[in-house]
Amino acid sequence: MHYVVMTKGVPDFREGQVEFDEDGHLKRGNTPTVMNPNDRFALRAALQMKVKHGGNVTLMGMGPPGYDKVLGEGMRDVYADDLLLLSDREFAAADTWATSMTLATAIKEMDDTPDVVFAGFKTADGETGHTGPQTNWCLEWPLLTHVVSMAYDEDGGSIRAKRLVEGDPDEIETVETTTPAVVVTDPEFDTSYRKASYRLKRKRLREETQERAEEFEDHMTTWDHQDLNLDPEYVGLDGSPTIVSGVDPIPKAPSEREPTFMEPDEEEMEQVVEEIAAYGGG
Amino acid sequence: MEVAEMSEEDNGEEDDGLEHPTAEKQYVKALEDGKYRDMWVFCEKQHGELLDVSKEMLGKARELMDKYNDDYDADERVVSVVIGDDVEHLAQETIEYGADVALYQNDDRLERFLHRPYTEIFVEMARTDADWRDYDEPRYVVFPATNNGRDLSAQVQAELDSGLASDCSDLYIEDHEETNPKKTGEPGESKMFERTLHMKRPDFSGYEYSTILCLDNPEREFHPQGASVIPGTFDVPEKQNREGEVIEFDSELKDGWFGVEITDHDLLDEGVDLTGHEVVVALGRGIGDDPTLGMELGLELVDEFDDAALGITRGIVTSSYDFDGHVEEYTTEERQIGETGQVVQPEVYIAAGISGAVQHKVGMDESDTIITVNKDPDARIKEFSDYFIVGDLFEVLPQLKEAVAEGELKAVADGGLTEGEGGDDDV
Repeated sequence: MHYVVMTKGVPDFREGQVEFDEDGHLKRGNTPTVMNPNDRFALRAALQMKVKHGGNVTLMGMGPPGYDKVLGEGMRDVYADDLLLLSDREFAAADTWATSMTLATAIKEMDDTPDVVFAGFKTADGETGHTGPQTNWCLEWPLLTHVVSMAYDEDGGSIRAKRLVEGDPDEIETVETTTPAVVVTDPEFDTSYRKASYRLKRKRLREETQERAEEFEDHMTTWDHQDLNLDPEYVGLDGSPTIVSGVDPIPKAPSEREPTFMEPDEEEMEQVVEEIAAYGGG
Repeated sequence: MEVAEMSEEDNGEEDDGLEHPTAEKQYVKALEDGKYRDMWVFCEKQHGELLDVSKEMLGKARELMDKYNDDYDADERVVSVVIGDDVEHLAQETIEYGADVALYQNDDRLERFLHRPYTEIFVEMARTDADWRDYDEPRYVVFPATNNGRDLSAQVQAELDSGLASDCSDLYIEDHEETNPKKTGEPGESKMFERTLHMKRPDFSGYEYSTILCLDNPEREFHPQGASVIPGTFDVPEKQNREGEVIEFDSELKDGWFGVEITDHDLLDEGVDLTGHEVVVALGRGIGDDPTLGMELGLELVDEFDDAALGITRGIVTSSYDFDGHVEEYTTEERQIGETGQVVQPEVYIAAGISGAVQHKVGMDESDTIITVNKDPDARIKEFSDYFIVGDLFEVLPQLKEAVAEGELKAVADGGLTEGEGGDDDV
């Protein structure tokens, strides 16, 4: 079995890591790049497959050469057998469609065709949620999205998964398909291991990957557009239908209010009573 | 129209010796000199009813295209698309919410959303010539930014070789002057892109708004311009008695599209839903002097309202208070408001004994009116309160309860006897 996990380096949006300039714009240069948090669920799902069914996990990302550290972070913090970085100036500033074509081409270019390609849901920067489904459209494989748990049947080569459907109320679906397939994990993905033998194996694999991650560069392959035989007109900004025409700071939430202070007596609280009395029942 | 052939000559660039699988256009199916008209809206349904977001999109599309037709002296339409097993009545309903033409596809196998068949059908509809239209593909397409709607939007636009912005919170159409040489073809030149859909969306984890445009390249047409819309962003329009065409579409479904099978589905037990109430009463660690009594007072106040819910802070969930059994069920995580709990925006939010940590703030600061009860007038919550009652919640909550019950305030401190008394005895 071969599992490929798609990931992206994103600015670290955790509190305290983000800086803004005077106009309220995000200062990207000062913000460290980390592995997209949602992609960890995808990588954990791939590790879960490896623990239960064996195989190799390739962690793949697209970005500037410095993104190798993001892949190394994934290898150290979760798991990877090898790393693949798609890096080329021609790939820069791609929107989701140009990105998806590049990723799909790389997947097709692999000697060992993956059985399952995993992706996380939405990146912390672009937040489109499009790249998994669009990469899948190029591959023309079955697609399972918003997956919260999955099981693989080795005999039939089939995947059974539960996925979340938004509605009123939300629903949970059980879906089945065959490999190769693309699985987009939901942030609620269940990464628990019920069997003790699985937990032991996971522990061993985690130790191995941490050791490997010390010298992650040794496990890294880098491909550019020539390796992928990609026409530069169809990747990066050149191949992107969309552009960002403007960025505005989000006006501060209407939170900074001026309270009217009052003592809890009849007269002073009259205004409050007027506000709430209308909502009384019966 | 013709599907553009991407040969070496068309490319007009030097041969770099690569075979270029993308140049064979294996994923690229753009048109050349395509004719694009109308705004298409994919209307999602659940259990035989349109989702509210579908109606919201139709209302917005109606507004956009009415203005568009005025601005450009045009006569373009809102076209709705409904796919399912028995959806003719829903297609009919989309007319009442603003569509001019409603396309629907029925098939038993389409009862629930499936990526491949829904994408194939939508795309076939978009590309298929018909009596009622005279164009190659839609000018604009709009989808709901739900789990399934967003996936569909991505795959439809991939197949149509175009772009989209997801999770939009505002849409408008106007001309746009662009200077990016990738789009103009000439560095230093600017080019007018008429009738451009401007798609505004919160970006970068909510730190900024981006305005996204989907613009043709000089050699490659990126149409339709696509967007998905966050549910609840636009108002559900009033149903109107409108005329429109309801048209059944008859795609020949292929077995190969059904590689994913839905074997089971269940409504998700969502636990307690604190959203959508007129009033939320929330309690924090200020109840610490008598936690059970504090919870009781909060619940009693909730009961006096027509439509209210009780919420709590993380502080209570993680506390080691010893609650009596009858209030204990209200002290669990499923009632937590804040960053790791639910986000509510009721008309009135009553925060009792809550200090106002930033994690709590994000769960409630969009409420219309925030009334705080706290002994400490310097508590951080004052920064996002409209009214700040400086007092002990054990005294103030009963007063508020009385006020809601009676529609006015009784001086509970005096035994609640000052109002409504007198008179009778004297008769």
